[in-house]
Amino acid sequence: MGITITGVTKKFGAYPAVKDINLEIPTGDFVALLGPSGSGKTTLLRLIAGLEGLDTGSIIFNGVDFSFKNVKERKVGFVFQHYALFKHMTIFENVAFGLKVRPRKLRPSRSEIKDKVLELLRLVQLEHLADRYPSQLSGGQRQRIALARALAVEPEVLLLDEPFGALDAKVRQELRHWLREIHRKLNITTVFVTHDQEEALEMADTVVVMNHGKIEQIGSPAEVYERPANAFVYSFLGRVNEFRGAALYNDVAIARDSAVEAVGYIRPHEIGLSRFSNGVGIPAEASHVNAVGSTVRVVLKRLDTEDYFEAELTSGNFRELGPFHKGDILYADFTNIVVFEAITDSEHSKEREKVTVGAFSAFT
Amino acid sequence: MIAREHVHLKSPGASRFALAPIKKWLLIGTALGFLGIFILIPLIAVFTEALKKGIELYFAAITEPDALSAIKLTLITAAIAVPLNTIFGVIAAWGIAKFNFKGKNILITLIDIPFAVSPVIAGLVFVLLYGSNGVLGPFIEANNLKIIFSVPGIVLATTFVTFPFVVRELIPIMQEQGTEEEQAAITLGASGWQMFFRVTLPNIKWGLLYGVILCNARAMGEFGAVSVVSGHIRGLTNTLPLHVEILYNEYNFTASFAVASLLALLALLTLVFKSFLEWKTKK
Ligand SMILES: Nc1ncnc2c1ncn2[C@@H]1O[C@H](COP(=O)(O)OP(=O)(O)OP(=O)(O)O)[C@@H](O)[C@H]1O
Ligand SMILES: [Mg+2]
Repeated sequence: MGITITGVTKKFGAYPAVKDINLEIPTGDFVALLGPSGSGKTTLLRLIAGLEGLDTGSIIFNGVDFSFKNVKERKVGFVFQHYALFKHMTIFENVAFGLKVRPRKLRPSRSEIKDKVLELLRLVQLEHLADRYPSQLSGGQRQRIALARALAVEPEVLLLDEPFGALDAKVRQELRHWLREIHRKLNITTVFVTHDQEEALEMADTVVVMNHGKIEQIGSPAEVYERPANAFVYSFLGRVNEFRGAALYNDVAIARDSAVEAVGYIRPHEIGLSRFSNGVGIPAEASHVNAVGSTVRVVLKRLDTEDYFEAELTSGNFRELGPFHKGDILYADFTNIVVFEAITDSEHSKEREKVTVGAFSAFT
Repeated sequence: MIAREHVHLKSPGASRFALAPIKKWLLIGTALGFLGIFILIPLIAVFTEALKKGIELYFAAITEPDALSAIKLTLITAAIAVPLNTIFGVIAAWGIAKFNFKGKNILITLIDIPFAVSPVIAGLVFVLLYGSNGVLGPFIEANNLKIIFSVPGIVLATTFVTFPFVVRELIPIMQEQGTEEEQAAITLGASGWQMFFRVTLPNIKWGLLYGVILCNARAMGEFGAVSVVSGHIRGLTNTLPLHVEILYNEYNFTASFAVASLLALLALLTLVFKSFLEWKTKK
């Protein structure tokens, strides 16, 4: 089912949790809503499900206006962040719930329900746990049961709120593959919320980047990563160094008297390091070298502005360069820097500050 | 001091634990002694006094017409007050636990009023409201109704006094549960009633039952408020506790204690049931 969201706003009291959202989701798409905490991802997901009523705008499913239809009529499958399995029911009963509550005319027979539930449990590979209670399952297993339960009612849209948020890294990795696999098999339009950019970029067909209740960019993972629409998207998708003021003017030739303030971003792996000045390099002192694994992370201090930044190079490049140590002077090449107009909107500048702090706290 | 504690902690089985049994038994002994003096001995006294003149007299006392009528009235009162408070209790607890609205704290405070005021005052308020000289007196008389000094008044007073039991029991349980399971039920296509009976109720059932039996125990045992509104008409407006008082005031000790033993039995049953529920909810 295709979803068209137009001009949707939702306020909690006076606070707008999502503002003027426009989003087109084609049938069968696998969409990630990505954004920092409090950016309105869950609210948008709940608006699509009908668990929250919208203030303005419309939500259209396959050309039909569903803005004011209730949850039941929307035929969506919703997987809650904390699974929300029915504690007092067995796994079998949990999965069967959606079928059992149907009105008598539409309700499948007992044996049909049983077949369907067992089929779903096979799909999530947990058939052997049918008689257990949710409390007897691991987090990853609960998550899979929550998905099976949502799929039982054959929804046309599957909505997942941080599906892997509470799981450890390994289980997460497994479940990502598995969820993609299920999507490939069933081809249900799927929207999932995450604040993990890696997860969004790895899994989704379309990434929707949100901030402060607004959509910052919509695009394929490659598009948003390689051609970020603005400073926020750039800095949110991966580690970045941020330069402004004097540091920025030293790096790139832009008009200094320009009316708008500019901010430059560069990802650690895009910084070229060399031993000798070749005209473009800015001298910097290595203040921390971490050479564990296949990448080497280096924190350096610019000698011109005393700003700290992070560079990343492969262990091969590191050897080529001739291993260096804390205190060594290197020349950093910032030609790949991307320059954005600094956002003046007070709310955004607050966010930007947060990003800056976040970016630099990674170095110290 | 702290350092020494630390050392003790590190060496289990040392003096810290050697002292424990004495402290333990001192505490337990005090508690048991207190229990014995204030609860066990009176309880035994009730039963010995009740059975002192033989089992026949005991049964005679609890089967004479006035006693039977008191039993009947007590049962009727509880049969109305308890279901009412159960239904309203569930509704109120649901509203308070699962929704946010202005004045929620005031509502919670209001719910506690029956616990906070003396039952006698509660009874007096009803007399002032519904008595023949009361605010609503003329209206009640005009419509040929009778509330004070009759059964409706007793039921009203009992309902008022026992209102908080169910709500108070349910609010924390429902708050802890949150709304996610219920929302999940709705997204799976359940109607409001299906959600309530299949998800909400099973989750609160032990707590609800617990609230209900406490409510029932109080409804059957309530004295103060009922005493004010009942008028003590023998065979008509006497509940069990009032009947006990009347018999006692007539120096009819054996009968008085015999009837009282019924209430004591009810209390014991309630406690057994309550422990069972506690054990069940812990499981
Ligand atoms: N029921 C509510 N009442 C009041 N404010 C709310 C409510 N739900 C969400 N908000 C507010 O709306 C904003 C967006 O919340 P939302 O839950 O959508 O964020 P999110 O992007 O899902 O964040 P997270 O990653 O932390 O889950 C937040 O500032 C939050 O405080
Ligand atoms: Mg969220």
